[in-house]
Formats: sequence, C-alpha cells, structure tokens
Amino acid sequence: MIRKLLALSPILGLAVLPGEASAQAKGSKATYPYRIETIETPEGLVPETGGLDFLPDGRLVAVFHHGEVMFYDPQAKTWHVFATGLHDPLGVVAISERELIVAQRPEITRLKDTDGDGRADVFETITDEFGMSGNYAEFTHGPVMDAEGALYFSLNTASNNGPVRPIIRGTYSPQGRIGRMFSAVPYRGWVMKVTPDGKTIPWASGFRSPNGLVLDKDGNLFVTDNQGDWLGASKLFHVQPGRFHGHPPSLAWEPGIHTIPLTIPVPILDKMRVREAVQIPYGFFANSPSQPVFDYTGGKFGPFEGQLFIGEMNHPMIMRVILEEVNHQLQGAVVPFIRSEELRLGNNRLAFAPDGSLWVGQTDHGWVGAKGIQRIVWTGEMPMDVYRISLTTNGFDLEFTKPVDRRTASDPKAYQVTRYYYEYSLNYGSPQHDKQAVPVTDVRVSPDGKRVSLKLAELKKDYVFQLDMKGLVAEDGTPLINSTVFYTINQLRLPGAAPRPATASVAGGTSGR
Amino acid sequence: MRTRSLGLTLAPLLALAPAAPLEGGEAAGAGAAADTLEVTIKAIPGLRFDRVRFQVNPGQVVKLTFINEDPQDDMDHNLVITRPGARLTVVQAAVKAGADKHYVPDIPEVLFATPLVQGGESYTLTFTAPAERGAYPYACTFPGHGVLMYGAMYVGIEMPPLASDENVPPGQRTIADAQPPPRLRGVSYGTEFPAISRTFLPESGPASIAVGLPDGQSYNFDAGVSYLRYAWSGGFVDNTPHWRGNGNAYALVVGQIYYRNKVGFPLRIGARDSVGVVKFKGYRLVDGGYPEFRYTVDGVEVRELIRSRPDGPGLVRTFEIQTDQPVRFLTDPDGGVRFEASAGRWNGSVLELTAAQARRFTVTMIPPADAGGAR
Repeated sequence: MIRKLLALSPILGLAVLPGEASAQAKGSKATYPYRIETIETPEGLVPETGGLDFLPDGRLVAVFHHGEVMFYDPQAKTWHVFATGLHDPLGVVAISERELIVAQRPEITRLKDTDGDGRADVFETITDEFGMSGNYAEFTHGPVMDAEGALYFSLNTASNNGPVRPIIRGTYSPQGRIGRMFSAVPYRGWVMKVTPDGKTIPWASGFRSPNGLVLDKDGNLFVTDNQGDWLGASKLFHVQPGRFHGHPPSLAWEPGIHTIPLTIPVPILDKMRVREAVQIPYGFFANSPSQPVFDYTGGKFGPFEGQLFIGEMNHPMIMRVILEEVNHQLQGAVVPFIRSEELRLGNNRLAFAPDGSLWVGQTDHGWVGAKGIQRIVWTGEMPMDVYRISLTTNGFDLEFTKPVDRRTASDPKAYQVTRYYYEYSLNYGSPQHDKQAVPVTDVRVSPDGKRVSLKLAELKKDYVFQLDMKGLVAEDGTPLINSTVFYTINQLRLPGAAPRPATASVAGGTSGR
Repeated sequence: MRTRSLGLTLAPLLALAPAAPLEGGEAAGAGAAADTLEVTIKAIPGLRFDRVRFQVNPGQVVKLTFINEDPQDDMDHNLVITRPGARLTVVQAAVKAGADKHYVPDIPEVLFATPLVQGGESYTLTFTAPAERGAYPYACTFPGHGVLMYGAMYVGIEMPPLASDENVPPGQRTIADAQPPPRLRGVSYGTEFPAISRTFLPESGPASIAVGLPDGQSYNFDAGVSYLRYAWSGGFVDNTPHWRGNGNAYALVVGQIYYRNKVGFPLRIGARDSVGVVKFKGYRLVDGGYPEFRYTVDGVEVRELIRSRPDGPGLVRTFEIQTDQPVRFLTDPDGGVRFEASAGRWNGSVLELTAAQARRFTVTMIPPADAGGAR
C-alpha cells in the first residue's frame, strides 16, 4: 500500500519531464508520429490484460485476469472465447490457432483445441513444479519460448502484506519466509526454465517482482524487476543462468545456502549479484515497468529496429531501451518513448502485430492502472529522437534519427548531465545518492549532423548518468520530444579498446553465432 | 440502487402512449392495483434482457421495473415497447432520435418507453396493456443494442414454444438462457456449465479448481494434491472477493458443502499403504465440457471424470487406471456421503479392486436425503 501511495504522486506530477508530456499531449507542431488506437472489448468482459500474442493467422490472443483466453480478429473486429476459468493468467505464447501456452498462477499450461471447434478442450500441465503459499503476490509471469522450444517463466515473491495459507503447495522454508517480499516455497523469486523435453529447472535467482520476460533473437533472456526492497530502482536484467540477481529471499532455494538469506552481509550479496543492464529511475518517469518486447518489425514501427520497448503501469507511457556491449556485458540507456494522455495507465503487456503495430494490454488488477487494449501505430514519419547512445572513453556518443540543428547542438549548455547512484540494501527503494552535475567539456557534431560526441568531466562506474537535452531541435525544426536519457554505467569503456557502436545488433541478433 | 426520474425530454414522447398512466403506481388507481401485473426485467451482461418474454391480459395495468445490471459503468440501456412487428422499425429510427431523446423515436410505433438507465440504476414504468391481442416486441434502442437485446410482451395470446419464438433472440431460446442462472456470477466472461474456475478456495490448497455442474452441484478438485476436496450444491463460486483489491481474499463457495474429504488422496495402487508420488497432469473437456482430470501415481496414469448422479443428488466419479496391480480406494464414512461402487469389494470403508476392475470403475457419492443442499 505504501508503494501504491508513493506511486500515485508522480502521476499527478506529470510535468516532471519538462516539455515532453506537454508537447506530445497537446499535439503541437511537434506531433510525435505515432497514433494510439483503442480496441473495443466485449460488454461483460473485464479486460484486465495479462498477456498478448499473435496467432499465425494474424489474430490477437489475449488472456485476462479473470481467466479468459480470447481471440480478436483485427479485420472483423470480433472477439471469440477460446477458454475460460484459468487462474490469473499472466502470459501467453501462441503456437498455432489450435495450441497456446499460458502461464497461470498454479502452472504453465498447454491449451489445445483438438476437435477444431474453436474452443480449448485439452489443458495439459506443462509444469507445476514450484510452490504456492497461497499469497496473492505469487504471480507466475511469462512464458517466453526460445528457438529450441524451451520455455522461461518467472515466479513472483510473496508479499508481507499477505499471508502464507494454512494449506500450501510445496516445501515450506522458514528461512525464505523472512523478508518484506519473501520466498517461503520453492523457487519464489526465480526465473525457471522448462527444457524442450519437459524438465523444469530453477534457472536464475534473486528476483522480486519479475513482471516481464523477453528473449532476443540470439536467445538472451531479459527480465524486468520492480523497485522495492533490495531494488533501489526498477531494473532490466540480462539474466545470467545459475546466478543471483540481487533480491535475497530466493536464495533459500539455492543449494548450499543454509543460512537465512537476509542475514548474509550486504557486501557479500553485492559481490554475488548480477548487475542489471539498465536501471530505470523510480518516480521520475517509471514506477512499475512491465513487459519488454524487442522491435523486430523490420522498420514497420519506425527507426528503432532491435531496440526494446517496455510497458509501464503507473504512467501513460511506454519506455525504450538502447543496449550496447561494453567489456562483454550489456548495458545501456532508457528513454521515454510514448508518453501521451491518449495512452491509458496500466501498460502491462506488449506485443507486436504482424503489421508492425505495437499492441498494449492494460490492467489495474490490485494496482494503479487501467483496463483494456490499445495499439500504437507508426504514421511513417521520422520522429526526432535519440536513436542510439554509446559510452565512449571520455563521454557519450549520441546518435539522432534526424540531423540536429548544429547551432543549438554545438552549445555545451544544451546538455545538462547529472549522475547519481541507487543504493543496494534491504531498504524499500533508494534515494538518488551522491547526485552531482557533470560538466560537459566538449561537444562535437558530426558532418552529417546525426551524431553528437559529448566529452564529460567525469565518468563513474555504478552510476546512472542522466542527460537532459531540452532545447535540442532537428535541422528541420522538429523539437526533440524525448529529451532525457538515463544511461547505467556498469562498465567503463577502456581506453584502447575498439569502441563498439551502440548498434541494435548487440541485442538485436545480427551479431550471429 | 437508485431510481432515476424521468428525463424531461422524454415526457412528450411518453404522452403519445395510449391510455398509459405514465409514471408511478398511484396513477393506476387503487381499484386496479389488485390486477396489476408486476414484472421485473434486467439488462444483463452480453447485451441481453434477463427476461425475454412475459404474458399480460388486454387492458391490464403493468408495473414494469427495469433494472440495468450491466456492470459496464458506461453502458446505458432503455426498454421500448413497440406495436406488433415494429421492433426493427423502431430500432432503426432510434439512432436518429439521439441521446437527448434517450433514443426513443417520435413515431407511432413506439407505445411505451423508459428513459436511458445507467448501470446500477432502475426505472419503473407503469402502463395499461393494449386492448388488442398480439405479441408486442420490446427492445433496447440504444444504437447497436436493438439487434441483440429484445423480447416480447404477449397480450392475451399464448406464447409459442420458446425454442421457436421468433420474438426472442436466438441465443436465448433455451430455458437456461432465458433465465440465466445466478450461479454464474464472479466467473470468467463466457463461462457456461459445466463451468471451471481455478481460484483460491477456502479449506483448500492454492491450486484449486472449482467445477460447477449443470444441475446445481459443484466440487473442488485441488490440483495441488490431485483429489476432490469437497462438494457442494446450491450455487457455484463467486470470485468477486478474490478479484477485488490485491487478490488476497478467497473466492466464495456459494451453497452448502455436503461432502468433505477426510482421507486425503484416496487411491492406493499396489500393496503399499503410502500414497506415492502424485503428479497433476491437467484435464480434458469431454461430453460437452466436463473436465476429465489426469494425474499420475508413481508414474501410473489415472483419469477421473466427475459428473452428477443421474437419479438424484450426489456425484459419480469414473476412474480409469492403467495398472497391473490391485487398487484400493479409501473412503471417509464421516465425509458426509454414502459411497457405492460399480466394481470391487468393500472391506470396511476401503474399496478393493483387481487390476482388471481398476481399468474402469465408478464410485458414487450419495448425500443423505436430509443433507439440505443437494437437490
């Protein structure tokens, strides 16, 4: 509840990003070239959306909290009930028009329509090899499927605001029970893998509220996690199998750890943990990031092929993430993408349609949000945006979607850079520590006007660098609407190392293997 | 529930209605009160009236209470009674009438009408039925609704069989649809009987599956342990409390529990007394939607299909077990029901079956006649 209250205030203060919200919402000259459409849902359906995917024939499949699995024909604008009665389904993978895989609270389930009447008649348990204490927060997120047919899903920890029920499923761990968000039954706070031959493997630990999984083309798994205890800010992880990702109670299920996870000294936990690829500053523009999705539309959704879009529950916003590899690790930046009064809150699930539009499923199930489904369509015009950002040995290279106006872009005062860090501790969230302005000592604009190289007085590992570029405009006069970038520096670019451009290919899959 | 007063804009329209005391039961006069027909019609989810037809005598006073129970907050409905055969004419004309006139067109085909009623509100319309016998359609004339949401008032004539009543929407020409059972509340959209609702149930594990059978009985199969935990009758489940807020609350078991499992997992395969490793494998919908559960006991597959007892209250559980070992089925004498079996031998409260008998057998659970709930 505390979090909910905290979460509300930034909604009221939408103006925190100067210029942004207003420019997009008011549809001024700088109209952002994306259109938001609302999908009608049937009367009587409570469209609290838990999952979206597209069938091979182009129809949408949506699952809703109240247990429905529905198909939507975007041409005919008709809905069809495929199955009912599931428990809080929170994700769906469409295999075919007659076969789906759904994550629901108690299990991952294969739904099949074997007689072809358009309704599921087989509900096959793929795995239920994890515990349930009956706590409301024990959601099952996912699944996502890789090229080999393996499935990944994540198990939310339980909340201290709720109980452990008298009858549970699975072994009870008193050690794991300790914590604000806890893991009293097996693999709460873990990402799980189901191999193609059906074996369930606890795959990676240390998650709190991992409400969003996605695989890139190379099979790298990314998971979002929500700000709270042990998470100073919300995070996007590049999940490392077998490793711990920072939220301790799940260590109760790590073989070899017999102590109470919360009693492990913080410096040791800090050394054990995998650093997130991107920290998503809390409150400033995001409170509860949800599902990420890669843009593999081949340009149908605009210029951001290979980059990530992430939903957000508490703001009418979708974020965009730009990743790059530095010292063999993925790190990068988050920027606002769409922030519009036409977009609802509760942007819980994302899926790209075959036509390249981005479908957004919304929910307010026990949380700030809204209900329904909308879609975001690129109008075909080039937005004025930060296309890429890449850490250099002494600053950042910014690449824009359009040539910048050289006069404004050449002025160091056009860039306000601040840096701060979020503390890793059992506290709920973290203030921005050691926040300081970083002077921009040099600005160079490339001959084609699309690249700006900033030299900074300081670069610092384990800090978030926030770049504000409010006054920047394109050569054609279009203002830069999304003018704030948050880059998480885990690794510094070593002098002499060949700078790898912040291409989409790092996560976008053209690097090949 | 509040009653919304008649909008001023509608008043002139209603004045067209012949011999219709417009509003308030008092207009019908004390003398007529005894003969007044009181009818309640609700707008319910799925663009439907819960009551799609009723009968009245010519000239009889009708006090029609129209309740909008559609949970969509922004979904307004009205109820407009038309001259025989004029439903579609009125529905089409309504679009042009506009919201200001509550989508009630100013044409003689309209006899009586309520204003638009918001979700959760009601309106009472009192009028005198026409003297001329016939089927008088009614519809919601909100644009788009009228093609789905209609019914008929039969004045002084017999109603045709429901299945062939052209004045009733095709989807509601069955008894079940004409009067949707209140049992389906707080379940997934589109749920039909046999109904499934996986949810948090009291006195059960967190992976429970509530199953509602068409005859009013329900049971809880706990997928965490793969057995029937309890059975009840009278209603199904209502997830409204579970869906509210953070989802912590249990769903309501609607009705009276008449059986509670006291023995735990009831099957023993082979000579061992321990249960063995039980794994839930899912279910298949058979015979029009009955879940046939599948689980394994130490790798032996069990199928269990639970249906209502055909000749009275209680449940028939059909088991299919592919094993070459004998099977025992443990019952609980104090669970609330009497057990009968299609095969095997009773040894006290334990049913003993050979491997051949275990391939397919039924166990019938019969509540005592005075169990109350089971009808």
